[in-house]
Order: sequence, then structure tokens, then C-alpha cells
Amino acid sequence: MQVWTKLFAKSPFKPLIKHSEVVLNTVETLERALQAWERGDYEEMKRLAVEVDRLEDVADRIKEEIRDSLSSKLMMAVAREDVLIYLHMQDKVADAAEDTAKWLLVKKPGTIPAEIKEIIIQMGAESIKAAKLVHKAIVQMDRVIESGFSENEIKAEYEIIHEIEGVESKIDGLDTKLMQKVFEMADEMSWGDGICILNVARTLSNISDKAKDAAERIRLMMNK
Amino acid sequence: MDPWLLITIVLGFAMAWAIGANDAANSMSTAVGAKAITPKQAVVIAGLLEFTGAYFFGKSVTETIRKGILNPTMITDPNVLIYGSMAALLAATLWLVIATKFGLPVSTTHSIIGGIVGYGIVYAGTAIVNWGKMGQVVLSWILSPIIGAFMAFLVFKAMTRSIFETKDPVRNARIWSPFWIGLAFVVIGTMFYIKVLHGGDLKTGVMMYGLPAGVVTFIVTYLLIRLRFRSADPLINVESIFKKAQLVTSSYVALAHGSNDVANAIGPVAAVYAVATMGLSGMQVPVPRWILAMGGLGITIGVATYGYKVMETVGKKITELTNTRGFTIQFSAATVVLVSSWLGLPISTTHVVVGAVIGVGLARGVKAINKDIVRDIIISWFVTVPVAALISAAIFKILMLVG
Repeated sequence: MQVWTKLFAKSPFKPLIKHSEVVLNTVETLERALQAWERGDYEEMKRLAVEVDRLEDVADRIKEEIRDSLSSKLMMAVAREDVLIYLHMQDKVADAAEDTAKWLLVKKPGTIPAEIKEIIIQMGAESIKAAKLVHKAIVQMDRVIESGFSENEIKAEYEIIHEIEGVESKIDGLDTKLMQKVFEMADEMSWGDGICILNVARTLSNISDKAKDAAERIRLMMNK
Repeated sequence: MDPWLLITIVLGFAMAWAIGANDAANSMSTAVGAKAITPKQAVVIAGLLEFTGAYFFGKSVTETIRKGILNPTMITDPNVLIYGSMAALLAATLWLVIATKFGLPVSTTHSIIGGIVGYGIVYAGTAIVNWGKMGQVVLSWILSPIIGAFMAFLVFKAMTRSIFETKDPVRNARIWSPFWIGLAFVVIGTMFYIKVLHGGDLKTGVMMYGLPAGVVTFIVTYLLIRLRFRSADPLINVESIFKKAQLVTSSYVALAHGSNDVANAIGPVAAVYAVATMGLSGMQVPVPRWILAMGGLGITIGVATYGYKVMETVGKKITELTNTRGFTIQFSAATVVLVSSWLGLPISTTHVVVGAVIGVGLARGVKAINKDIVRDIIISWFVTVPVAALISAAIFKILMLVG
């Protein structure tokens, strides 16, 4: 064994990027499931929701691998705690997508007003944006380190973080709107459909919530 | 030929082999790790230039007792010098082989010093050792990595500030890359005078070699970049500039190493040669060129047989080192070694390189460094002299009983 190969420990950033790719994939699959749900294609929705579950498992495994390799014996360019909490949050994005898929699976949808469906689809589209931005943010973080924490790259990273925060507040708005709509149109739905739809909305807004938390951690990484 | 001389020559050759296997690989590993040169290129460069350095620029007069560690007037029996030199060589070689086996970058100079101290103490007690000199050696364990880390930290910060952290990195790279590479050549030019030509006056070195080399390099690099600097991505572009610079800095490292460190292997051989041919054990002995050639050959074979393996693993496994970082490490190490040899501080290149790696890490340049390995390396530095001394002492005792 040669000391030079051991001295430079494996950095967690490439695996973090790989993890975020899987997370993005999970959210994208969920969006397709939501679209199938909107069309009323229940079989396709079920297939995709199961796929979401599988992808979330893959993300979990990568997460465990990264955790195992991040020993406290490393001297890193960013704080180890920030990396671990970031990873946790990034993984929660996939978890939230899986939760949504579960709510889609538990109940065969009855008649849901098109207005409500539309808001859900919008929320799904925004969630994708959030997941994409998280991926972009971690790729950019790698660049920040490559450039030796240059001002320009840090600025670009802050812009991505702001975008994520923007998406999150947009989803929050949609979430509130949806809740109001559900109670306005309570008579047009069964109570079961109502509960299901409210939970789909809650878990969907969770996706961007966790994305925001992840972005928050990246901010801290830059201020070590 | 005197049988003892023959044995010593074989031992000196073995030591040279160990130097090639351990040191040459270590000094070029950052360039290989940054993918500036391939392992094959590294072996060719190291092989050729180490030999050139050793044969053409190796000191033709070698101190018999390395750096005056032992008091020569206390060794009156010429046999002691013969057995002692053999013991020191064998001990240093053994320790180097062990350290290389575990991949620890230890100083070859310190190994041979340990060997010499070991037999000296067995022969005449602790009074024979120049403890002032020894203190300097111990000090260098602590100082070399710290100064190396500090320097690399500063250089890395300055490089990123002048290029990456500006509003227009591409434009700034055009001016600042030639500046940094030029500055590296000021150091290289001066080092060439001091380490390779063994000149003494720093001012002459800077004025006659350093500055001209730096200015020429600046102009050439500036023009080359003007002509072929196209890509819009500053990160990729700056790296490609420093990649080429590293090819030259690596060549320089090999040349300086050969001319300087060959003495560790042939110094003791020269001492025995002096006793065998002239029957005296003076401080300074002229070394015949063929002994230098043998040292150079040994180092080259060490690089080709064992160093190759090391560089191959380094090339495959280090992916965390970019060219600017590799350049920073080499440039900082060279500068620190130059300034210290001017100040008369004993400093080990290997130690400075490790320090520089950590310095770039502290400047948040390297994504992750293994603290455990850093600890192992530091321990290996502290045990080098005692371990080599103990092995040497044991061998010397046996030789005195048998011989």
C-alpha cells in the first residue's frame, strides 16, 4: 500500500452527487405517477408508485455507504456534520416522494374535482424543480471546492439556494390553496378522498421543505 | 580490490536502490496524482534525471561522516570507519525498505544519519555525537512540515485569489498563470544553482539563474497562453496550463533529488574507499566518478523496479488532486527547501511535501485528507533516526566481534 493513495481520502462529494441523482430520479418518477393519476390511469400510476418505492431504497443504500465512509478521521474542506445533515435532508426528499406514492397507493381515487387535481399537478411540477435544484446545488458545491472557495462560485451557489427557497414558498402557497379548496368542495368528495388528497399535498410540500433544509446546509458548508 | 570495499559498494548500491524506491516515488507522486504525468512518464523522467543529477551534479567531494554528525577525531581505528559505514548503510537500507513496504515517506537523509549515530554511540559513547547537529535534525521533524503547510496554505490562497476569485477568471488566468509559473522558475533556477551546482551564494543564484529563468518562463508561458487559451471554463483552462508546468517542476524535482541525495548512498562508500585506497579517514574525500555513477544507477533501478509500482497505484487512486493543487504543493515545497538551505535550517523535502499537502487541505483545497495516515507518517518520522540507529548499532557490534 502506498501512503499517497491513503493520505488523500475519498471525498464524499461524488457519492453525494450520485445520491442526489437517485433522489431526482425518485421525484421525477413520482411526477409521472401523478400525471397517470390525473389521467385516471390507475394501473400505470400503481406501477410508477412502486418504482418510486424501489428508487427510494436505492437512495437509502447509497446514503448508508456514504455514512459509513465518512469517519471522523477525515480532515475535510467542509464540516463533517454539515455533510451528514445535508445527506440526511437530501435523503428526506426521496422519503417524502415515497410517502406521496404511498398515499396514492392506499386508496383507489374516487371522483376528485379537476380544480384540485390541477393544483396537485402543479405541486408535483414544482417539487421536480426543487429536486433538480438540489442536484444543481450539490454539483455547484463541488465546483466551489474545486475553485478553492472562489467568490464567483459561491455567488452562483447562493443563487441556486435562493431559487430553492423560492420554489418552497411557491409550494407552500399551493398547499394552502389546496387545503382551502378541499374544504370548499368537501361536499363533492368522500371524506376518504379528502383525507387522501390532503395527505398527498402535505407529503408533496414536504419534498420542497426538505430540499430547502438541504440547501440551508449547503449554505453552512460554505461558511465553515 | 579490498573485499570490504566491495561489500560496501554492494551495500551502497542497495541503499541507492532503496532511495530510488522510496524517495523518487514520493517526490513525484503529486504530479502523478494530479494526472500531469503518467506513471510511465514519471519513471522515465525520474530514471533519466535522477541518474543525470547523481552522475553529473552529485557532489564529487563527499563528507565521510554525513553533515558532521560524529566527531571525526574520535575515530582513530580505520576499521571502525569501515564497519561503521557498512552498518550505517545496511541499517538505513533496511529501514527504508521497511518504510517503503508500509508506504511511509521517511527521509533518506535521516535514515543514514540514524545509522551513523548508531555505530558512533556503540563505538565511543554519546560524547562522539554532535548533539547540536542532532538537535537541528530533530527540529527539522517539527519545522519542515509546519513551514511546508504554512507556505502551501499561503500559495494556494494567493493563487485562488489572483485567478479563481476574480470577476473575470479567464482574463486573470492569462496574466497570473504565467506569473506563478514564472515565480516557480525563479525558485527552480536558484535551486539549480544551490542544489545541483552546489553553489553557496543565494544572491548569485537568484541573479544569475533564478530571475533569468523566471523572466524567460513568464514570457514564454504568457505568449503560449495568448496563442492557445480558448476554453470558456476557467476551472478547466487554468488546470490545463498548470498541468504543463508540472511536467517541468517534476523533472526539476528528480534532477535536484539525484544530485543531492545520491550522497546518502555513496557517502559511506566514499569513506570506506578512502580508507581502502589511502588508509586514512579524513573528513573530506574525493569520490571517483564511477562511484557516483553506481549511486545514480542504483537510484534509477530503484525507481524502475519498485518506484514504478508506487507511482502506478498513486496514478490510479488519487483523484482528489487537481493540477493547480499539485503545482502548489511542488512549488511550495521547492521554495521552502530553497529558503531553508539558505538559512542553514536542516529540512527534509519529503517532510515539506507532506506538510504542503496538509496546508492545501487546510486552505480547503483538498476535499478530504485522512488524519490517521497523517499521524502514521509523523510517527514514522520520529522513529526514523532511533530505529536506524538501533539496527546500525546491532550490526556494528556484530561486525566488530566477527571482523
